[in-house]
Formats: sequence, C-alpha cells, structure tokens
Amino acid sequence: MTLALTGHGAADGIAIGRVHLAERNEAEIGEYRISESGVEKEISRFRDAVSRASEELRELGEKLTAETSSTASEIIASHIVMLHDSSFGHSIDSRIREELCNAEWALQAQLEKILAEFRQIDDPYIRSRGEDVAHVVSLVQHNLDDESSSQALNSIPDRLADTLVVASELTPGELAALHQRGVAGIITEHGSTYSHTAIMAGSLDIPAVLGVRQARELLNEGENLVLDGRMGLVYANPNKALLKHYRDAHRRSARHRTSLRAIREVPSQSRDEISVSLQANAERIDEIELAMRDGAESVGLFRTEFLFLAPGVPGENEQYAAYSEALKTLAGKTLTIRTLDLGADKSSPGESLGHPAETANPALGLRAVRLCLRDTEMFKTQLRAILRTSAEGPVRCLIPMLTTIQEVRMVRALINECCQELRDRGLDFDPDMPLGGMIEVPAAALAAAELARHLDFLSVGTNDLLQYTLAADRVDEQVAHLYDPRHPGVIQLLKMIVVAGKARGIPVTVCGELAGDKRYIRLLLALGIREFSMHANRLLQVKQVITNTHVGHAEQVFEQWQEGHAEAYDLDLLEMIDSSQ
Amino acid sequence: MIEITTTIINRLGLHARAASLLVNCASEFQSEIWLKVDERRVNGKSIMGVLTLAASQGTAITIQAEGDDEAEAANAVKQLIDRRFNEDE
Repeated sequence: MTLALTGHGAADGIAIGRVHLAERNEAEIGEYRISESGVEKEISRFRDAVSRASEELRELGEKLTAETSSTASEIIASHIVMLHDSSFGHSIDSRIREELCNAEWALQAQLEKILAEFRQIDDPYIRSRGEDVAHVVSLVQHNLDDESSSQALNSIPDRLADTLVVASELTPGELAALHQRGVAGIITEHGSTYSHTAIMAGSLDIPAVLGVRQARELLNEGENLVLDGRMGLVYANPNKALLKHYRDAHRRSARHRTSLRAIREVPSQSRDEISVSLQANAERIDEIELAMRDGAESVGLFRTEFLFLAPGVPGENEQYAAYSEALKTLAGKTLTIRTLDLGADKSSPGESLGHPAETANPALGLRAVRLCLRDTEMFKTQLRAILRTSAEGPVRCLIPMLTTIQEVRMVRALINECCQELRDRGLDFDPDMPLGGMIEVPAAALAAAELARHLDFLSVGTNDLLQYTLAADRVDEQVAHLYDPRHPGVIQLLKMIVVAGKARGIPVTVCGELAGDKRYIRLLLALGIREFSMHANRLLQVKQVITNTHVGHAEQVFEQWQEGHAEAYDLDLLEMIDSSQ
Repeated sequence: MIEITTTIINRLGLHARAASLLVNCASEFQSEIWLKVDERRVNGKSIMGVLTLAASQGTAITIQAEGDDEAEAANAVKQLIDRRFNEDE
C-alpha cells in the first residue's frame, strides 16, 4: 500500500531511494555544582568546546565553497559568527562563575533565555534565526560531551547514494555532512521554510521536505520512497505507476545537468543552441568582480543610489570617479548605469535632496525620473558624469520608472544640453550612448510599443511591475501570495514588452528578481526573453537552468497556453513547460 | 561617549544579513558599541543581540559608542544603516 505524507517542500527536485531513519544522540543535559576553584577549568572546558565546534564548521565551510554556490557556505559562516558571539560567551562565563554550575547547564539556561526573546519577534524570518542559535548551541553541547561519537546523528552510513535520510530535524552543519556523503534527499519532522536548513538544501540541490509530522514513526527503515520536493510530498512504497511517473520526471531533469562549478566553463546556451545573455545587477566593485568571475557578459543594471545617501548632493566629479571605477573593473564589458531611483518620501534619504517629505503614497509619488525632471540641476550633474564615463568604454544610460513619452523626450533634451556643456568644457563623451528605459509602470508596459520607438533598449523591472500590476506588496505577509508571476495578466504584460522590443529590434532585458529566480527562467525564455540581469551570486544557477532547457519546446507550450484563454488561470504553465522538456 | 540617531530605511529592516554586516562593521572598532531601539539596548558586536532587536523599516535607532575610536565607530555604523546595508531597496 502506498502511503502519502505531506510537509513543506523546502527544496525542489525529485528523489527516489530507500529510507534511512536517523537517530539523534539526545544527550541529557546534566546539572551539577562545581567548586569555586574549578571555575576557571570549567570556563576553559567551555571555550575548548567552542573551538572544536568552530573547527568543525570551518572545515565544512571550506568543502562547501570549493564545490557549490555561496549561499550554503554563507549559512555555515553565519553559524561560526554566532559561535563567537562575544556577549554570548561572556554570559556563559558569568553564569559559570556566579552560579557555580557546569558549562552544559549554563549553555542550556542561556539558550532558553535567548529563545524566549526570539519567540517575541513578529517577523517570521528573523524569528527563525532562533533555530540557528539552538543549532549552534547543540553543536557546542555535543563537543562538551567527551563520550559521544563525533556525529550528533547516530549510525549514518558512509555512502548515502540512493538514500533518503529521515530525522526529527537537521542542522545546516549536519545537512552539509550528509551532502558530503551523497545523500539523495531529506525528510524532517520539524523545520520551517524560512529555516537555514531549508535554504541550504535548496542551495545544495538536495530535494527536501520539512515538517512531516511523525515521519519516523510512519516510515520504515529500508522502505522505498519517492520524494517530490516541489510539491512537498513523500510517497512510501510507491506503486508502479507512481514510480514510473517520477522516474521519468527525474530522468528529464537529470539528463543534461552539469554541476554548478563546471557550469562556469559552459557557454550560456539552451539545449537547442539559443544564446542567452547573462548580466549582473551591481552597485559595488566586489559585486562586479564576482560577476566577472562567474561569467557575466556585462552589468545590466548599475545602481547609483548609494552616492546620494549622504546629506547633500554628490558632485559631478565624485560621481564620475565612481562610475569610472566600475567601468574599469569591467575591463571592456558594458556598464549600464541607472539614473537616480530614489523618492522624496520620509523613509528614503531623498529628503536630503531638499524636497517635501510628506507623501501619502511613496510608491506612487515623486520618485526616480519624476524627481529628476523636477530637479534638473541635480539630474544634469548625474547625466554629465555618466556621459564623461562613456568616453572611456561602453556605457548605457537607463531611466527608472518611465511613464510617458514626454519624459523620454525631456531626458533626451537634457542629455543634449549636457553634451553641449561638455563640449564647451573640452571634455569627451560618447555621442551615441544608448538610452534605455525601465519598464515597471503598468501603463508603460501596455504602451511599450510606443515607448520602444524612442528608446535604444528596454529593461523590465519585474519587482515593481508586479507590485503595481497585482496591487500587492510582496513584503506584506497578508497579501504576498498575490505577488505571483504566473498570473495571466502579468504574463500577457511581459509578452507585450517582449513583442514591443522585437518589433523595433531593440534588446529587452529582465533585471528584477525574477531574472535570478530559477523557478521562472523557463517561463521567461518561453515568452521570448533572451537577456537576464541578476545579482552575481545567481549567475551559475540560472545558467544551469538555461543549459538544461529546450527553448523551442517551451515556446510551443506557451503558444498553446495562450490559445487556452478561459482555462488559462487553472493550468499551471510552469508545469506544462517542464513536461515539454 | 557619543550618540547618534538614525532610521532603518531598507525594506527588509535589520534582518539576518543586515545584522551580520552591522556586527562585522562594529567589531572592527575598539570602542564599545550599543544599539538602542525604544527601551531596548543591545551590544552592537553581538549577532544574537542585534538579531533580537528585529528593527523593521522605519524604526528609529540610536548608536552609542564609547572608547578611543568612538566617533569613527558611530559614524561607520550610521553610514552602513543609511546606505541600506547595500541592498536594492
């Protein structure tokens, strides 16, 4: 009989294999008194345990950096920072001194105090960080216990290929260790989607389902299991049909998979040899360097707000120096500079730009290019700095929050004035510097065909475009579920922008978070997007999806879906595209 | 002792990544650094302490520093917060 269990799908992917039930060494936290003369020794014992725990994590972290993307090793690094938290260390020392108790007891008491504080926090993401404190403390507890084996988890076989480990919960460190042994998938009874364990599983590509109640009671050692990470489903003793369905799905996704590290060397091309441009969003030199290392073709979005955060307005030379440095770092690749995208509202330092602070609705107010066209002195200073930079290498200028054609005309007029001013000063610039617009206002998206006639390229700011179009704040828990790129309205809007760009023969780049989200890459490719700009740490993952996609098939599916019309909302377009691959 | 007040302006507030950046920054200075939100005061060099502040966007935060490099320290922390911890929004 097939048994189906549900939980939170913490990491995508399908795993097929046999169950291994992991037992945890639940050491009892004993309490005993120590003598006054024994205090220093006890404190040393605690500090030694911290050192050993730190060493364990450091080794794990090193192995991770060598193989995979940065997220997993960042999580381990954050645990090491917690381990060395000075306030925490001092509080343990104090407890040992004042209460004359053993280190284990001091740790437990302090942990409980901290967890109580975390439980008060509203924000679920920060509240989950309490789990990290618990994980770190348990690692120290483990190192204090001389008698336990070197693993907190008992009896884990060395080779875990084709094995799915089932545990009450797993710390990121333990997960990393399982990864080393080639584990196929994991199931835990506890844990939330915000937990670092979930994030780590995603980053290490280990299919995972968390929060499966009583998993260890309901599943049997050695039993056959199918795990569907995307849906959060676990099937024990799957019947033939189920097994075949999942084996096929697994084979389709595994077929052309290359490891993340090897992906660096591979050209950015789909399975049917369509070239896709991968670019980076950046504002710091180190981000640009990372982007270069991971194969970005160019910087598709260089944010300039950082220059405007201090009180007052940055001068032309100061801005020119910053843009110039960024361009130099790119060593010949193109730098797309976005003009100021700040508002005049209270929550942003735009206030220091001397404009009224009270705005009822900042997202709909005097921001970005609107603000710049009001304060042309400031805007022209920035434009001149950008133009001067264009003399030194390939530079494009990008205007945020474009709404009307008049705005484009005004910007071009101001650029022409700036060109003349620079000529008068005997300074060089590129007279053909491309000017593009960020399409993020829905009206602009609907009128993209018109706007495209006046621009050299289009960039789709999906973050704001989706928020304005769906009228939902993605950070507001109560409505964040509405922020869904699969809404047919959103898909049609994106398609309009692509069509507009094609009609004029100008590039269309997606540069919002969607561009770096591996779940939606195939969808964007199916719509006709061929340029993606993302945070540098996403480049390899996105390239991996691209090299594993047959764009032609995806596009066919999209056409069929479009013709579906009325039923469109019910059909999961993403699944249809995946099945076509 | 020096005291400066500023506002958390980035969208996600003082979440985990921002907290780490802040603690890293504070830890480079010799002075003692404290962060105050309403009545709560935590050690600016303690990641656990800073995390529990859970200061969201729009929260006023006071930076207190005491020591030889107190002015630099307080300013550095303020800059980091004002620069939105180098985040998008």
